[in-house]
Amino acid sequence: MAYEEVKVKKPLSLILLPILSVLTFFVVWELMVQLDVVPKTMLAAPTQVGSLFVTKLSDPNPDGATIFIHAWVSAQEAFIGYLLALGIGLPLGLFMGWFGVVRGIARPLFELIRPIPPIAWIPLTIFWFGIGLGGKVFIIWLGGVVPCVINAFVGVRMTNPTLIQMARTYGASDWQIFKTLCVPSALPMVFGALQIALACCWTNLVGAELLAADQGLGYLITMGRRLALPDLVVLGMVSVGLAGAAIGVLIDYVERRLLAGIRR
Amino acid sequence: MQVAALKPDTKQVKIEVKNLTKRFGDLLVLNRINFHVAQGEFLAIVGPTGCGKTTFLNCLSKLIPTSEGNIFIDGEVADPKRHNISFVFQEPTCLPWRTVRQNVAYGMQIKGFPAAKINERVDFMLDLVGLTETQSLYPNQVSASMVQRITVARAFAVDPDLLLMDEPYGQLDVKLRYYLEDELVKLWQTLKSTVIFVTHNIEEAVYVAERILVLSNKPTNIKAEVNVDLPRPRSLIDPDFVAIRKHVTELIRWW
Ligand SMILES: Nc1ncnc2c1ncn2[C@@H]1O[C@H](COP(=O)(O)OP(=O)(O)OP(=O)(O)O)[C@@H](O)[C@H]1O
Ligand SMILES: [Mg+2]
Repeated sequence: MAYEEVKVKKPLSLILLPILSVLTFFVVWELMVQLDVVPKTMLAAPTQVGSLFVTKLSDPNPDGATIFIHAWVSAQEAFIGYLLALGIGLPLGLFMGWFGVVRGIARPLFELIRPIPPIAWIPLTIFWFGIGLGGKVFIIWLGGVVPCVINAFVGVRMTNPTLIQMARTYGASDWQIFKTLCVPSALPMVFGALQIALACCWTNLVGAELLAADQGLGYLITMGRRLALPDLVVLGMVSVGLAGAAIGVLIDYVERRLLAGIRR
Repeated sequence: MQVAALKPDTKQVKIEVKNLTKRFGDLLVLNRINFHVAQGEFLAIVGPTGCGKTTFLNCLSKLIPTSEGNIFIDGEVADPKRHNISFVFQEPTCLPWRTVRQNVAYGMQIKGFPAAKINERVDFMLDLVGLTETQSLYPNQVSASMVQRITVARAFAVDPDLLLMDEPYGQLDVKLRYYLEDELVKLWQTLKSTVIFVTHNIEEAVYVAERILVLSNKPTNIKAEVNVDLPRPRSLIDPDFVAIRKHVTELIRWW
């Protein structure tokens, strides 16, 4: 390898600082609730949420399912929507980037639909799909497909024009240029889309479930509100956050493995 | 077919440029250029900065349309899809996601050579330019001179009817240049391709070429033609070499 990776040692303070800030955050939060700075009907303390989490591991009350069932339902919806977003958005974006015909057809429609927040589709979605899996997957897909299209499109657009000229002098067809130059050039942006789209999907999942669901982490939050249980609300929020972060780490790992193989 | 205007030669005419004119809006860059290149000839083109050398090559390779006139290969209008044209660009054009070997194979893959032939040919080319050892590395893992060798090897690999080179060694240091120029001449002698080589560097032109076209300032035309009838390998201090170099320099002094 031509370039050795430079390893920089982190000073101790830089390792301690994040831990310290997180600890402070939780301690202040706990104290605010315990000392009644914020009324207990408006916010739950971290310790309460923690103990509720332990309870909810096995107890389906009061919302009808254990925390794992909720998380599992949400994860299923999110992944189906996410995969569909990748499967449709990435090819569409790539084609839009290189083929003028596809761009001409798809771009105006895309630009029209793009500014509508996915949550605004919820009523129509309920008409079309009811409150089952299909509707939620559709909302999630809407959220994820936009960054997929944009990133893939921009990635193709960033293809070095000299490389395209080079291929042209060899007599390359449009399809050959697309396949051998545009797609590899777009890969880093496409991998960026994997992360961004997942974040969008996950965010929209909660939105979709807030309105139309009977299970899932978003539904847990809604139930907490209906039953006036702040600890349930916060537990739902924390679960969404943690699960999202965990998926992010997973994607990051997969991305790095893939990139190592494809591009150095 | 017209009588060769600039090169009355017994060798077979391969490339014929007729009346080549290029305007960018009102700016006349190339003004009615006519010349011939013989089969297997090594032609160098020198000209002042900004006179339109790159534009000229872009027209020849059909990357941009000409305003008037045309270029003919074997009597037919040049077409990258039908003719075998290679272009070595001024800037490196290796594909960073392909290994050295895959890069050399790229042109042949585009042209749809059969896999077995590609393999055999790549082996041959890698050996010729001394890249066999580094064939599985990526372009960002090899030195700048090797990067240009990859593109030169890729260009020669397709056995081009016409090989265009736009100052391929302009950004390398003197020593590497001498080395790569020798290598280029060796490649040309081995593979017998027809080469048009654009450069700023007069010494380089006299060193590699059989014939030199000197371009004028914009609107550009061919100002003079110099035959370089020196034996190879050439020596930079041979009096004949120096004489030709001085002659071309003299022509260029009036730019
Ligand atoms: N696409 C374009 N549109 C308008 N003018 C152009 C275009 N391309 C080139 N020119 C003009 O044509 C002239 C010739 O440019 P060109 O790049 O061919 O010169 P060159 O001889 O290759 O220069 P250099 O020696 O710096 O490589 C320049 O004056 C340039 O401004
Ligand atoms: Mg130039």
